Amino acid sequence: MISIQNFSFQYHHTQSNCLNNIHLNIQDGECVLLCGRSGCGKTTIIRLINGLIPQFYQGKMNGKVQIDGKDIFQIPMYELSKKIGSVFQNPRTQFFNIDVDSEIAFGIENQGMPENQIQQRVQSTMTDLHIEDLSGLKLHDLSGGEKQKIAFASTYAMDNDIYLLDEPSSHLDHQATKSLHDYIQILKNKKKTIVIAEHRLYYLIDLVDKIVYMDHGKIQIYTPQELMNLSIQQREKMGLRTLSLQDLTWTQKTKKSSDYATLVFDRLSLFYQQKCVLQDISLQARRGEVIGVIGANGVGKSTFSRSICGLHKKKTGDILWEGQKKNDKECMRLSYMVMQDVNYQLFADSVYEECCLGIKDPHQQIIEETLDILDLQEYRDCHPNTLSGGQKQRVAVAVSMICQKDLLVFDEPTSGLDYDSMQQVSDFIQKVAQMGKVVFVVTHDYEFLCQCCYRVLHFDKGRLCHDLIMNEDSKPLLNHLFQI
Amino acid sequence: MKIDLKQRDKLDPRTKVFLLFLCIIAAIFAPSLKYELILVCIICIFGIYQHVIRYAILSLLAYIVIYIFTILLMKWEGGFQVSLISFLGLIHQVYPCGMMSGIIISSTHVGEFLTAMNQLHMSQKIIIPVAVMLRYLPTIKEDLGHIKDAMHLRDVSPSLLGFMKNPLMTIECIYVPLMMRASQTADELTIASITRGIENPVSRTSLIHIGFHIQDVIIAIVFIIINFVFIGKGVF
Repeated sequence: MISIQNFSFQYHHTQSNCLNNIHLNIQDGECVLLCGRSGCGKTTIIRLINGLIPQFYQGKMNGKVQIDGKDIFQIPMYELSKKIGSVFQNPRTQFFNIDVDSEIAFGIENQGMPENQIQQRVQSTMTDLHIEDLSGLKLHDLSGGEKQKIAFASTYAMDNDIYLLDEPSSHLDHQATKSLHDYIQILKNKKKTIVIAEHRLYYLIDLVDKIVYMDHGKIQIYTPQELMNLSIQQREKMGLRTLSLQDLTWTQKTKKSSDYATLVFDRLSLFYQQKCVLQDISLQARRGEVIGVIGANGVGKSTFSRSICGLHKKKTGDILWEGQKKNDKECMRLSYMVMQDVNYQLFADSVYEECCLGIKDPHQQIIEETLDILDLQEYRDCHPNTLSGGQKQRVAVAVSMICQKDLLVFDEPTSGLDYDSMQQVSDFIQKVAQMGKVVFVVTHDYEFLCQCCYRVLHFDKGRLCHDLIMNEDSKPLLNHLFQI
Repeated sequence: MKIDLKQRDKLDPRTKVFLLFLCIIAAIFAPSLKYELILVCIICIFGIYQHVIRYAILSLLAYIVIYIFTILLMKWEGGFQVSLISFLGLIHQVYPCGMMSGIIISSTHVGEFLTAMNQLHMSQKIIIPVAVMLRYLPTIKEDLGHIKDAMHLRDVSPSLLGFMKNPLMTIECIYVPLMMRASQTADELTIASITRGIENPVSRTSLIHIGFHIQDVIIAIVFIIINFVFIGKGVF
């Protein structure tokens, strides 16, 4: 049993308490969901249980945390790791080895399990989790979803009593999220204790026994039924994502697009290392349209978005803008991509300098206007790295507007965002589109797609399979694609 | 690019560390440039033996270019040339060791390395940061790809020409995001490893069997002989 009593915590670099006098008991075999807005303290609770606080993250703390009656702060990290397994958000930075088999063995190797038993344990883990076909592969060649499966498997192989999952689905497509759901079910069947911090609630609601809603370091306990009974308005006010994808309403998007096609792809084929990734894509896009791009992990969505921006060289076919053929250089000048990890594209010391960077004669008026439009005026002197994820995205968009780019691509803008931030991203994407830009949004997030996009492109098996306008007629097909 | 070796070609990670040590000594004592070239050739053969073929051959070719350049330069005269030669001398000293480390890093699994160091009774305080670093190195390439994309989108050219035109800008654009990523990645990797008990003091086991074989002995002897020859020629 995990018991947290009268616990308060404050990180060293912050002003206010992250956890405020919290009482929480988690029984053996219970499956608990932690939810709430970004920064509400979900991750802090996970870090508290797996011992990262205070051994890795320091801060001021007060109160008691016990695990099976023992004070958790007295137990060294490696002892805790025999009892508690953790899976984190980013599949890219959770593995330590090059190949799948050694990665699954990593945890049990550390425990000093005899060699012949390691072999057996790795085998049985693969069978339990149905990943035999990944055996012997290199981790670098796997998709994000598969990497996350291996991260899970490595923890599973250690056969702990308690499993902690910190936003495990935020980089996953719907198929991989489904597998994650099945894995949690396997843990439940084995009567393991499970604690999950997560923004996406829909795939967990049938699994969890108890829901801990957190707000400003305080907690409130709900049963799944109680949460289901909340009205949509109440749920949105709490900053929570949808509980069921079926119930989503499609906001009718007022379409203010031009009536002629600005951007035309003429039989575009894309290659990656001599292999054809996407074949014969022909489509037309108008100014003011927000176009969603969907498809499984690894289908070629990022190759597609990179080639829109002129960053992908190996291609045949033409890209036309306003009727004129454009080469890679011209595409680059025309377009801007807001990357999934926006940290790659922020270079300067302050938001204002970021806006001027690399521009010979920055036009003062345009910069001020842009900062106003995107609500960035109050952060103009902040260092971009002190901003939240959503704010960083807005800075990147501001840059694109100041450089007068007309074609914008967003790559997974909502991974790991709560309801409020998703709403904000959706709002400013609409705003940008209405300024007469062509916008592409690559996403796995069905809820976001419903809110934001006017039109959807679906890629599968190297082809553009569907090109739909989002309306009632296309709903059954989309539900089918997302397996709802 | 890591390669799975057949059992017959597999070296114990401890042997590799020993070879690197010998390599450093040989590079210090190399009596002339010619010997330095021989050393690089031997390292190249070692690389091919460890299946790091592309890297080994490219490094050898690059070294030959530097070698020829140095020889040509020595024929000239002048003050500038002297300072350039002393700079090149530094490169010649470091090159074999750098090349050797590259081969070792790309042919060793992190798990293997950890177990071997554990058996050498190295302190955890040294092993864990080195392991995190080994794991981080390949991700730099990936990060650089993203950063290059981002620079293109900002109309900053990441090429050599762009660097010549505007060096400060180019450095800032590569350096800032790379550092931000590096600190984040290192944190996440460390967390992923300590929550899976990397600090456990019990003797670590390994899925891949490690141990000394006949090939370890042969390679070690070859490198020891090279050292004897180099030191013999250099000192006497």
